[in-house]
Amino acid sequence: MPTKDPVVRTDPPASPAGAPASAGRLSTGRRAPAVLVVPATVAAVFALLPLGYLAVRSLERGPGFAWSVVADERTAQLLGRSLGLAAVVVTACLFLGVSLAWLTVRTSLPGARVWSVLVTMPLAVPSYVAAFAWLSAFPELAGFPGAALALTLVSFPYVYLPVTAALRGTDPAQEEVSRSLGLGPLRTFLRVTLPQIRPAAAGGAVLVALYVLSDFGAVSLMRYDTFTRGIYTSYRASFDRTPAAALSVVLVVMTVALVAAEARTRGRAGHARTGTGTARPAVPTPLGRWRVPALAWCSAVTAVAVVIPLGTLGYWLAVGNSATWDPAGLLDIAATTLGIAAAGAALTTLLALPVGVIAARHRGRTAHLLEQSAYAGHALPGITVALSLVFFAVRYAEPLYQELPLLVCAYAVLFLPVAVAATRSAVLQAPPVLEDVARSLGRSPLRVLREVTVPLAAPGVAAGAALTFVVCMKELPATLLLRPTGMDTLATRLWTETGTGSFAAAAPYAATLILLAAVPSYLLGRHRT
Amino acid sequence: MTALQITGVSKAYGPDSTVLNGLDLTVPGGALAAVLGPSGCGKTTLLRIIAGFLRADSGTITVAGRTLTAPGLNLPPESRSIGMVPQEGALFPHLSVARNVAFGLSGTDRAKRSSRSEEMLELVGLGGYGDRMPHELSGGQQQRVALARALAPKPALVLLDEPFNALDSSLRAGVRADVRAALRATGATAVLVTHDQQEALSTADLVAVVRNGKVAQCGTPQEVYQHPADPWVARFVGDAVLLPGTAANGTATTALGRLPLARPAGDSRTGTVLLRPEQLQLTEAATAVRGTVTEVSFYGHDAMVTVEVDGLTNPVEIRVAGPVAVRPGQRTGINVTGEATLHS
Amino acid sequence: MRRPLVRRLTALVAAALLLPALAGCGNDEDDAGLVIYSGRNEKLVKPLLDELEKAVGTTVAVRYGDSAELTAQILEEGDKTKAGLFFSQDAGALGALSTKGRLQKLPQASLDQVDAAFRGGAGDWVGTSGRVRVLAYNPGKVTKVPDSVHELIKPEWKGKIGYVPTNASFQAFVTGMRVLEGDEATRTWLKGLKANDPKVYENNLKVLDAVGEGEVSLGLVNHYYWYEQVAEKGEDKVGAKIHFLPGGDPGALVNAAGVGILKGSDQAPVAQKAVDFLLSKKAQTYFADDTKEYPLAAGVTSTVKDLPPLDSLDAPKIDLGKLESLQETLKMLQDAGMV
Repeated sequence: MPTKDPVVRTDPPASPAGAPASAGRLSTGRRAPAVLVVPATVAAVFALLPLGYLAVRSLERGPGFAWSVVADERTAQLLGRSLGLAAVVVTACLFLGVSLAWLTVRTSLPGARVWSVLVTMPLAVPSYVAAFAWLSAFPELAGFPGAALALTLVSFPYVYLPVTAALRGTDPAQEEVSRSLGLGPLRTFLRVTLPQIRPAAAGGAVLVALYVLSDFGAVSLMRYDTFTRGIYTSYRASFDRTPAAALSVVLVVMTVALVAAEARTRGRAGHARTGTGTARPAVPTPLGRWRVPALAWCSAVTAVAVVIPLGTLGYWLAVGNSATWDPAGLLDIAATTLGIAAAGAALTTLLALPVGVIAARHRGRTAHLLEQSAYAGHALPGITVALSLVFFAVRYAEPLYQELPLLVCAYAVLFLPVAVAATRSAVLQAPPVLEDVARSLGRSPLRVLREVTVPLAAPGVAAGAALTFVVCMKELPATLLLRPTGMDTLATRLWTETGTGSFAAAAPYAATLILLAAVPSYLLGRHRT
Repeated sequence: MTALQITGVSKAYGPDSTVLNGLDLTVPGGALAAVLGPSGCGKTTLLRIIAGFLRADSGTITVAGRTLTAPGLNLPPESRSIGMVPQEGALFPHLSVARNVAFGLSGTDRAKRSSRSEEMLELVGLGGYGDRMPHELSGGQQQRVALARALAPKPALVLLDEPFNALDSSLRAGVRADVRAALRATGATAVLVTHDQQEALSTADLVAVVRNGKVAQCGTPQEVYQHPADPWVARFVGDAVLLPGTAANGTATTALGRLPLARPAGDSRTGTVLLRPEQLQLTEAATAVRGTVTEVSFYGHDAMVTVEVDGLTNPVEIRVAGPVAVRPGQRTGINVTGEATLHS
Repeated sequence: MRRPLVRRLTALVAAALLLPALAGCGNDEDDAGLVIYSGRNEKLVKPLLDELEKAVGTTVAVRYGDSAELTAQILEEGDKTKAGLFFSQDAGALGALSTKGRLQKLPQASLDQVDAAFRGGAGDWVGTSGRVRVLAYNPGKVTKVPDSVHELIKPEWKGKIGYVPTNASFQAFVTGMRVLEGDEATRTWLKGLKANDPKVYENNLKVLDAVGEGEVSLGLVNHYYWYEQVAEKGEDKVGAKIHFLPGGDPGALVNAAGVGILKGSDQAPVAQKAVDFLLSKKAQTYFADDTKEYPLAAGVTSTVKDLPPLDSLDAPKIDLGKLESLQETLKMLQDAGMV
């Protein structure tokens, strides 16, 4: 059945540029094969569980009540505050992420490799630790400035990492052509480089925006009321799940709108992508007299994003005494944390794989829907996702309830988009023609996936897994509700210790958490170099 | 025996963008057919339809007696037994050369697979390269490995998608010859897609010129070159001398004199008479038609002389082997050998 | 650089996939005779609950969390709840569970051990320890300590008050004021307080420190923070003093932590034993001595130095179960620009 397809249409006759380029062509047509669609649907259903729960809860007192919650003046106010915060943080992250990526990839910045590792490190810092560190050093930051600062400093690597990869993937010849056509370095960056990294930056920006929308730790410490804080407050203040659910639905709607907007950016820019055939590495732009300011910029970012949180922790570590130390327990908890974070990353990556491949290689309503589903619940606060899994588990999977597999599933639901985004861009880097060749040599779509697509995309997929691993390690609200009774992770322990104001006792856990999360972050920072 | 039979294949991407328009093509077994056409003529689409990556709107395709594409039938690529050699080879960068070649081999017998792989590498002149990684090979070597990979499973048909494009012109002829030899040695039927008429004429047994989604002419390289179906084909497959003429008794009367026609045309028909530049010779014979030399381009093995012929609006080109005795501005005589074709 | 990373991560992922299967096997909850959901912090009550395990004679598993979140979890679990006992940080959460019918009626003998003010109206939860809102003051800066929170909105205290608007106990106090004096009066008071430009702190300890150092003159805190500081540093090292507000002032609200037995649990007999233990002299003394709270069960008096007996306090009379209605309080705090 012939279907019209906007993407394939770029490939046909009479293209003035000459022979149709094979690089951007879709491999096996627009309809995804069943071997991909079936597991991707499983992943999507997984990701949509919280939405099912929200539908039940928000409507349990009738649509009228739900609407009265949503239509409340306060709801709009909180929404405005959340969106405002997200806008500021995203803007700041784009500026930080793009500028640092360009400096470390494309210029003669001294020590570029070291910087690229250093500026990835903030990934390891949980937002609540960053917020706490800043607040204890500068109490006057409480409110919007503090929340924006803390969130920006922990989330700009979400932009930095994909943009770095995109900068490496673009053909430096295009920039040279632009220079030879009389455009200065800045105009070349704006008119040639920027459009090429736009899809990568937009993808990162969406993750940042969703992260800001869902964050509770930093905003509550900074006492800045946001939508998510409103949802938490609703649980805490009224012990009533219905208004919280109704508010959560608003977050879902916002998420879908955001992701759709991002997809449009990607759709327009996608064809501009050149193949991966550029063998020639870019000649670094000499920084000249900008060397010192560039170094100062990198140092400043590292200082505020890494040194300040670590310094505060160091202070509390020094204040603490042996009584607050429990090295054996710490080791135990660290091992548990590593284990479940690894399991979470593994399951998430596995589920993300078919969705990411479909998102990269196929178009059409099904593909679009599958990808959207993965994102739909990503802005939901951890507590909502956790409660939804409680809801389903006690009804349909009671043996799993409060067992590790369910917690691991919660991580998958929470962080699927992180892995999907990584998989998608990794697959996009692998030339589709290789998949064509494998098919023509008699491989079924599934075997092509296993033997060609996955091995080729493996570095990117692994990077996504590492990123997921880090975010799983830092997760708190869902872990609190779904962990097996009696089990502790570094994050829950941190929560316990700070709950009684014993920051000195909390510091070893926070330091261990950051240290452990720094390892995959370090690999991520280096991997792209 | 017919290896590839394409009947009435059409493909449109939208109401206003028909790419293939009822294309027919027949390739006998063991032949290397070139599908030649300008950019955007639909030849890449055709190749992808044959391979099964695109679904034709209508038409049938049979390979070695097996129907692959027909109304209501569209075998997936992996079931077609069609080898592919894409542009730039597209070797799997994560597999060694030997494993690339063995990729399409079924069966679990590892020894058999590796011996077949080595055999194919020998065939393309790369014996002993099996342990290398693709990035350790030159462009030409990569292309030959890609061919070995395509041939290894003994496909019913091999498709080559502008495989020599990315190569240096100095390498191209050598790789081209190697590819042809390898195809001959295995007796494989192959379809080469290209926009380079020299490549098509020199490599293929059969040339199909595609224009606007249809085969404009299909024949041996000689036929297509010497007896093009129309002036467009004539100009597309080589340099052409076109002049108005009128047919009578198997000859055409033109400004260059009376020329014998390859195919008799009806008397008194007027049209465009076509000659190749090498059919024209410079002469000092007094009876010859005369003109003025306007330009001489020297290529080494031959040269092209442009002459404004008395009584003709457009200048004609004459290919001259060896040293050129004339210079621009000189008067010269022109003599014609061989047959011409007349197109209305 | 690419390949080793891939291999390492692939190995990690493969190992990780196996882990939950292995780890899922052993879980102390499965063989626990009693599961307690504790909204009280592990640091505060773990030693006590270890004692409780000995007292009830069966394995006890404790799931720590936030009282409100655990409440939501229990409501979501419904009949299938894993918990036998809910140990809440405050009365409001217990009130909410009671309203939704998730708690079992407790035996009258248990209820009777505690003053009627500190147990559920439906007899399905009971307070285990109490905490009192007090006014901390800096003796060097304050000559006459106010006897009512209503004095705090006078201009003389402008910029001199420290408080923690996000703290649950502060919010419970505001709710108490609403119950006692009505929403309109409370709203006026909040606006007045806000107009007095009070200083916001992260937690009660920081308020005490600030009062002690004279950064502010007065602070709204819970009583036990001061006693803990005194126990830790010695009274002469703590700069702040505390004042128990007389005359049933809303600022002297007594809130309670408490327990309830969950419906649908087959652990009720053991849970009942646990409730008895928590009301026993041993447990009540623990609250008094270790967490510096007020014991609520009859007959136990605090041994903490200078802690006035609970019945000597002139605390406002209020049904603690009503502290459940925090929603409106929060709206007021938001409207006043405090949170």
